[in-house]
Order: sequence, then C-alpha cells, then structure tokens
Amino acid sequence: MKEEKLESSSLLDVFESQGVDRRDFLKYCMATAALFGISEFEFTTKLAHAVETASKKPPVIWLEGQDCAGCTIAFLGVMNPPVSSIILDKISLRYHETAMAAAGHMAEEIAEETVKKGGYVLVVEGSVPSADDRFCMIGKRPFKKILEEAAANAAAIIAVGACATYGGIPAATPSKGIGLNKALPGKAVINLPTCPVHPDHLVGTILYFLTTGKAPELDSIGRPVMYYRESIHDNCRRRGHFDAGRFLADWNDPKQKDWCMLMKGCKGPVTNSDCPIRRWNDGINFCIDCGSVCMGCAEPGFYAGMTPLYTAESETSKKILAMRASGEYQKKNT
Amino acid sequence: MGKKITIDPVTRIEGHLSIEVEIEDGKVKDAWSSGTMARGFEALLTGKDPRDASYITSRFCGVCYSVHQMASARALDAAFGAQVPWGGTLIRNLVMGAEYIYDHVLHFYQLSALDYIDIMAIADYKGNDKELLAVKEKIIGLVQTKDTYPLTPRYEPDEFSVKDPDIVIHAVSNYLKALKMHAKARNMGAIWGGRTPHYQNIVVGGVTSYPDLNQIARFRTMLDEQAKFINEVYIPDVLAFGTGPLWPLAKMGVGGGHYNYLSYGSFEKDPSGKELVFPAGVVIGMNPANIKVDPVDTNKIAESVKYAWYKDNKPVHPYNGEQIFNLDKKDAYSFVKAPRYDGKAMEVGPLARMIIAKNKDLIGLVEKGAKPGAVARHAARAIETKIVVDACYQWIDQLQTEMTKPGFKIHDTDHWEPPSTGMGAGYFEPPRGALGHWIKIKDKKIENYQAVVPSTWNASPRCENKIRGQYEESLIGAPVPDPNNPINVVRIIRSFDPCLACAIHIIEPQTNEVKKFMIE
Repeated sequence: MKEEKLESSSLLDVFESQGVDRRDFLKYCMATAALFGISEFEFTTKLAHAVETASKKPPVIWLEGQDCAGCTIAFLGVMNPPVSSIILDKISLRYHETAMAAAGHMAEEIAEETVKKGGYVLVVEGSVPSADDRFCMIGKRPFKKILEEAAANAAAIIAVGACATYGGIPAATPSKGIGLNKALPGKAVINLPTCPVHPDHLVGTILYFLTTGKAPELDSIGRPVMYYRESIHDNCRRRGHFDAGRFLADWNDPKQKDWCMLMKGCKGPVTNSDCPIRRWNDGINFCIDCGSVCMGCAEPGFYAGMTPLYTAESETSKKILAMRASGEYQKKNT
Repeated sequence: MGKKITIDPVTRIEGHLSIEVEIEDGKVKDAWSSGTMARGFEALLTGKDPRDASYITSRFCGVCYSVHQMASARALDAAFGAQVPWGGTLIRNLVMGAEYIYDHVLHFYQLSALDYIDIMAIADYKGNDKELLAVKEKIIGLVQTKDTYPLTPRYEPDEFSVKDPDIVIHAVSNYLKALKMHAKARNMGAIWGGRTPHYQNIVVGGVTSYPDLNQIARFRTMLDEQAKFINEVYIPDVLAFGTGPLWPLAKMGVGGGHYNYLSYGSFEKDPSGKELVFPAGVVIGMNPANIKVDPVDTNKIAESVKYAWYKDNKPVHPYNGEQIFNLDKKDAYSFVKAPRYDGKAMEVGPLARMIIAKNKDLIGLVEKGAKPGAVARHAARAIETKIVVDACYQWIDQLQTEMTKPGFKIHDTDHWEPPSTGMGAGYFEPPRGALGHWIKIKDKKIENYQAVVPSTWNASPRCENKIRGQYEESLIGAPVPDPNNPINVVRIIRSFDPCLACAIHIIEPQTNEVKKFMIE
C-alpha cells in the first residue's frame, strides 16, 4: 500500500494516492470514455496526456448572480476525485466569490485581468435579473454587465443549476430572473440544470472539455446527452409500482414506503436526468428515495410549470396522468 | 473626516455584500453594511399552495440549506394545526444536526481560516511528518508554478496573523481534510434528507423519509467519524488559535458590537418539547459578570425600512408589514431591512446562543478575559458543534427506540391538506441564528409570507433612530492601520458567517400593492 498523500500534482497521482495503479487508472479512463461515448483509445490517450502534462492549469471564472450558493456547495461535495484536487490541481480558480481568498478590488482585478487574457472556462451560478439591473450588483456594477463581459472572451460557458440555465425559481419572482439562454442570446452555453447542479455533471463536463477541447453532445435545450438522456421515471426503482397502480398515500405505512410518488406530485415522468442511477451525495440517496417527489428541477418549466409541488394537480401532473391513462408509458415498456 | 474605503464584494460568505468603512487614526470610525442582491421570494409565494413554501424557501440559501425548509414547515405546522409525531421531530433534528456540523466546519476552515494564517509560513516547516510534508510540497509547488489561485491574492498578513509554521501547516492540512469532512457531514444528512444542498424530506406535518435500521447504523457510523474530527481536529484548532496567537484580538474584543443577543431556542430534547438543546432568551447590554437572560417576546420585533430600498413606512411587526419596493430612495443603502427587538439591534447566532445558554466553556473564556467579539464567535461556534454532535447521539438512540414501538409515525397525515384559512409562525435556530417565518393562508392558498432571517438581524442597516446594525456596530474601533489592507474588517464580518441571499428576499413587486397583516 502506498503512502497516502493528501494532495498530488495530477489526477494520476490522486488515483495512485488512493492505491490505484496506472493500469487501473487506464481502466478508469476507458470506463469514463465509454460514458462519454467517445473512442476509448482517443480518450485514454488524451486524458492521460491532459493529466500528466497539466502544468498550465486552465483558468476558471465562477460567477454568482441571483444565486443561493447551493451549486457551489454541491460542487464542494464531489468526492471522486476529491474537490481539493480539482481546485488546486486541475483548474486555476481565478474568481469565485464563495471560495477565493481575495476580496473587494483585489477580487475584481483578478476577474478583469483573466477576462482580458481570454481562454477561460466560465461557470455561471444564479440567474440574471431582467426587471432591473440593480437587483444584482457586484462591486457597484450590474451583474448583467459583468456576465456579458466575461462571456465575450470565454472558451466555454457552463450554466450550473436551475437558475442560471433557464431562470429557475427567480424567474417567478418580481426581479424576473432569466437564465443564460435569454441573458446571452446566441451564445453557446452548456446547460447543467437541477437545483442544485449535480457535482458529477459539472466535474464530468469540465473534464470532458479539458480533455477534448469540445463541448459534449448536447440535447435540444443545451444539456449534455450523457447525463440527461433518459427520464427519471424510466430509471426509477418505483416504476413497477407505477405500472401496477400502487401510489403512496400515507408516509407512516411501511408497506407503502417504496410505492410510486405520482399522487404526491412527482414530475419524474417528464423530467430528464440520471438522478435515479447516479443518485446524490456519493450515491447515498436522491429525492424520490427519501419518500419525496421529483420536482422537475432539470426542466425549463421549473418552478412555474411544476406548482403545486406536492399534489398531482399541476398542469404538468395532469399531463402525466393523461399519459398514464392513455397507456403511453405501459406501451413504451412492452 | 476619515478615509472611506469600500470592500465590495466581501468574499467567502454566502451572497452579495458590500461593506463601507470610514477610517480615522488607524481605526474604523463608522461603517455601512449593504446587501446588493435581491430576488423576491415572498411575492412569488403569494397565491401558491402553502406546502410549496417549505421547498421554495429552502432556496433562500444553499449554504445554510434547508433551515428555511425547517422554519417554514414549523410555520405550516402551526397554520395547518399539524402535530408532528416524535419520530418526525427526531428525523428533522437529525438532518438539521448534520447541517450544523457541516456548516460550522465549512465556516471555520474554508470561509475564515485564510484570514488568520500566513499560508506562506509553510515554507519554514522543519518537521518530518510525512502528511504535513506532502502539504508543504503541494503549496510550494503551486508557488513555483506561479499559480496559487484561489489561495491568493489576499489581504496581507498583519501582526495578528499566525506565522508559526507548525500551526499554519496543521491548519492548511486540516483545511484540506475539512473539505472532505463537511462533504461527508452533508452525506450523513442525505440519509434521510434525500440529497444536499436542499433536503427533500421536510414537509408540513413531519418528514417523508420512513427510517430503517440500516440507515440508523449508517448515520451512527458517519457520526462517529464526524465526532472524531470535531473533538480531535476542529475544537483543538479553534482553541490553538483563540487562546494562542489570537488571544490579543480576543482580549481586545475586536468585533464586539452592541452586546445584545437573541435566540428563539431550538431542538426539543423529548416529546413534551419543554426542554431545548439551545434555550431561548434575550440579553440586552450584556454584563459579563452577571448575564441577565429575559424571555423572548416576539411582539417586540419590528422592522424598519428607513435606510433600505423600500417605500418609507413606520417600523412594524413582520406580520404587519407594508412593503413597497423603491430602488431610487435617497439615503437608502441596502436591500436588507432593519429588524429591532424593543428598538434594539440584536446579534443572533452561535455567540448569542452560547451566552443565552450561559455555556460554561464560553463563560470560562470570558472569565479568563476574552470579550465577546470575532474570536469569541469562532469559539462559540466550535463549542456548540460539540453540543450538536452529542445531541445527535441522543436523537439517533431515541429514534431507534421509537421505531420499534407499535404505531410508529413520522408524519401527521390527517393535516396534510391546507386549511381554508389559517396563520402561523415558525421559529428555529439555524447555524447562523434566530430565524422566523410567518404565513397567512386564505382560500387554501398563501395570502402572505414573511421571513426575518439571521443575517437580516446581523447585517441590517441603520433604523429610524440611526442605531447601526450589528455588523456596522461591531466594526467601530476595529484597528485598520493600513487602509489598503483592511484585514480586520473582513475578519470581523466573516466571524458572523454572513449569508446574504437569505437576508434579502423580502421584496414586493412594483405594483404598488399594499399588503396588510394582523398582528398575531
């Protein structure tokens, strides 16, 4: 067993510090390549190259607009590889209000300098107020302006969380928050919705970009197909109960514990994300498995289209019930 | 007239905060705290199904996630007439306990520690601990490639900064360990919370997560690991800092403020709910020799909008608010309102809780000469983390016993449907301090929703009587020998663990709609 190193200079070292040798590391690369849907050889070579020669780390600017910092906290929860190795070894995190040592002018100067040089990955958390710029000011400047300038020179733009992608909850508030789809019209943006972002989705997307220099294949609303291909419902382990018509009505009844959550307002059938397979918090759980419902946070209709959240009376739920009545789901499965 | 400097943005906090200070003779003479982002959650909630509130308000803040879910569920419990079964209360307490452990550890290491250490002192580490040498090598490596982001740039270390290479290298090593530990604490909460940030299981009437023994065992094992870190790393680190190099700052009481403290009290010890882990109380103008704690009377709470971007109105109780948003108001400088208790600006949070509890560890520090201020806030936070860990052990035992009883319940299903009318208040003590939610229901929908959150108390601007908010007052007299390096200002502000997104959510649409409420 190797001496455990707390930190290391490359991803390979991180693996080695966990007792994974080069051979196993390459196996991991291949598995990841398969996940990304690209040729194993090409990916392995590129990734190995990227992690071994990463002396010059790609700069990252992480902007927070109308946010709750939940996506930041989600990102800090990534365990494999550990977030410390991402922040210190894989990327050069130039600007991140919640993480950086600098404050005030000093912080703003780094952002300016990095933007001027270009070639950075821009991560955006939080929406942009469209009712009045003054709803979100940083360093006495409108967030909207800061975002537009940062977007102009970015090598890639990643919107994280429901707010930055499609507006999310702030879209329904008086400040009229909008996502990057509307705030940066015409710009190519990789959308990683869900509230908050799934840390694997973010780290995987960054790694994909650093390795290939390209965005992963995106669906019609800008989400990487590799994470948002299938509906929550199609991979839900309660699916059998849905088909059999067993719906949870009483949380106190152990018999009903694993029954379908449809009648409590679950939006899983119209929400695409790999949550049921990937799960959250290092695989410990996810929304439906704690007896709650999918709120549809990976979809542009969240939140306005999903309310009321805890009953089957929303327009979205009505649509799902109609699909169920018409046998559409059952047909798809047989 | 002193020199005015502005720190905008104040980083390593949640949310968007701007601090302006006037400096004269190397000291802060006056200060202004300004919240610079707003969304408008209450207006969004009006007209919605009341049960949406606990899910939506959780998104006030993703750092202290789900504390609003909890306060909101308690307001809904009251408005719906729901009685949360003891099993439901225990699971709520356990997931909130996990949130506390994560939040306090994150605050000390990731959000604060960099203000107190000279990270470059690592280069002088002469020991031969392999783990620490790896940390040294790591940091030196970053310096050599001239890419030390996000650890630099920074305000320059001052005479209070810890420069002892042994302490600094341990701190940096523990900074890296803490990243892993607080992620694991969040995972612990997800056992019943579903996922983090933003739990999914707390609803009106209790929780949705029916527990099993495997989860109990898993939680207990993960708690063991957290307890070990809290007892053997976090608390010793805070003590090493607070009673060592930072003792002069502690004795000067830098960052003291008004010495008024408020806690609503939280965490029932048994089904009767009479005894709480964190007691409720009010302390006005604390006298360290004789701490006088009065009971909380929530009718004494009133919010001023005099210096906030809302149409002028007299200070009123949150239930009686009239809010019309005005971005062009002269003299206004913040989106944060100014709540006052009996006209006084209060501090809420760990220091307030430990003073009100007359915690013997904190009192011990005070007796040794530490004054309430920035350093005492870090100490109080560490002390109460241990209290929460101990409470989690009791709750998990209680839950295991409760589960085996016939008719075990986690939810009051009889009160799941919204009442046609109702109103209720929900109080809770999240990591950052006293939190209140108020709801009014009409025709089974939310008629109005109000929240007065911890950072509204702490970060408030001035009120009618020109009384400064607690951030502002705590900055007065702080030593800032070099205006270009206001490190004491950020130390003080960060010691409160600011969380601005939740402090600024009370915005009404530009419809000039006037909303009136009855006092409870």
